This record gives sequence, structure tokens and C-alpha cells, in this order.
Amino acid sequence: MDAKLKRRLRTPFLTMLALLVLLGANVLLGSLFTTGHAWIAEVLIATVMVATVIVVAMEAHKEPPVIRLFSGVGFFWVAILFALTMVDYTTR
Amino acid sequence: MSGTVGIKVEEHFHSAEQQRETARLGMWTFLLTELLLFSGLFITALVIRVQHPTSVTAVALHLKFWIGATNTAVLILSSFSMSVAIELSRLGRQRLMLRFMLLTAALGAVFMMLKGYEYYRDYVEHMMPFLPYRSYELAADPASRLFTNLYFITTGLHAIHLTIGIGIMLVMAWLASRTGFLQQHQNRIEITGLYWHFIDLVWMVVFPTLYLLNR
Repeated sequence: MDAKLKRRLRTPFLTMLALLVLLGANVLLGSLFTTGHAWIAEVLIATVMVATVIVVAMEAHKEPPVIRLFSGVGFFWVAILFALTMVDYTTR
Repeated sequence: MSGTVGIKVEEHFHSAEQQRETARLGMWTFLLTELLLFSGLFITALVIRVQHPTSVTAVALHLKFWIGATNTAVLILSSFSMSVAIELSRLGRQRLMLRFMLLTAALGAVFMMLKGYEYYRDYVEHMMPFLPYRSYELAADPASRLFTNLYFITTGLHAIHLTIGIGIMLVMAWLASRTGFLQQHQNRIEITGLYWHFIDLVWMVVFPTLYLLNR
């Protein structure tokens, strides 16, 4: 493998490793802690995994401002949907 | 061997860069509509979890946690393979890129086979409440039907998207097998990659939402 290709593949390889480690952590939590508040850590880990895919694998950070804004607003809109719905159901 | 890389500029674009950005913006827009589609299912799953926690746990114990986890790893590997194909396309390494695209599609097929086996086990274990001719294992718990049906709707919708992704990948691989493909259409590989990564991203939410949380 030539040096240029090796350099370019460093980020995808590290991203894959990070995602597999995070998945391993979530699987471990799911296997060992089936009750209690482990779900908070599991949700946080899943959020980090999703953010890693958007920012690094989908290269959102390299996009021009209008695409970054567009993708950011899209996910923010979904966050509002989740927040408002869950506030309603968890405070009844 | 490396070759030149580029985009054939269509008449309504000023430059290759403008065409590239427009294509990416269009794909992101499409993916955000897909995100809203899946978000409706995810929020429904969370509401069912809040309203019927014991029923959800009863269903979750029947789901194949280890197959779900393995499938997540398979999709992470496929995303890596797609990223490699994109990097190779930028370097003009068309033949090697083609192999990684086929590897990506093959990993998608592995996911589908595992998913198919999972559905088969669900059938054998009487965990398909929507089948009128077959008894349901958790019939004594009517609320569990909500989560079980949602599990099939969500994973089924994801499977449809993955099948489309595999199809697109194979078509792109066929087109990319022609000489000079990367000289005119390199951005098509990038756009295909965005869709593939998105399928991976959706499953990263499906796995904890259905299989993992307080199972």
C-alpha cells in the first residue's frame, strides 16, 4: 500500500475502531446491567456513535456552510420532536 | 493504477464544484426526510417503553440481542469498506475501488442473511402477532403486541432501505467497471457513500431503541 493511500485510510480505520469499541461498551452494558440507570450510558454511547458517523464518516465537517447548516437544522428538528414528546409522556 | 478523477459538468452548472455541492445538498435533503420517517418510529418505541415498560421487557427478552449486536458490527465494517472505496475513488484507483464496493454490498448481504435468520427464529418462537393463523407467545400481554409489531415495522423498513442500498451499490459497481468512469462521475461514488453511511446510522439507533435499553 502506498504512503498516500495509507495516510488517507487512517481516519476511516480509526473511525471504525472507535465505533466497534463503543458498540462493545454498549453490548457489555446491555449484557451486565439489564435494569437501573444503565440506559442513560447506553443512550449517550449511541449518541456519540451517531455523531461520529455524521461528522467523520459522512464528512459533514468538510461540507460547505449551507450543507452543514442544513444537516444541523435537520437533526435539531428531530431533537425538538423527541424532547417535546418525551417531556409530555414522562411528566403525566 | 491511478487515473484522473473528475466530474462531467452538466450544462446548467457553472462548475464541477457547484455540481458536486448541489448533488451533496440534494442527498442530505433526501436523507433528512428519511430521518424524519424513522424518527416517527423511534419516538413511538420510546413512548411505548414509557407507557408499557414490563410488556416491552417481555418482548425484548425474546429479541435476538446477539444477532442485533453482530449486525451492528457488520454494518460498521461495511461503512469502513465504503469509506475506503470513496478514498480510492478520489485517488482514481478504479479497479480497487470496485472491489471495495462489492465488499460493501457483500457485507450488506451478510446483514440481510442474519436478519432473515432472526425473523425465522421469531416465526418458530411464535413472536409474530400479525399472523392470523399462528398463535402469539405473549398473547396474555396485549400491550406487548404494540412493541413486537413496531419491531417488525422498524427493522423491515430498515431492511428495505438496505436492500435498495445493496442494489444501488451493485449498479454503481457495474457502471464503475467501465473504463474512464471516475474521469466523469467520481461524485456518484460519494453520493452513494452518503446513503450507505446513513443506513448504518439508522441501525445504530435501531439497535439500542429496540434491543438494548433495559432489556
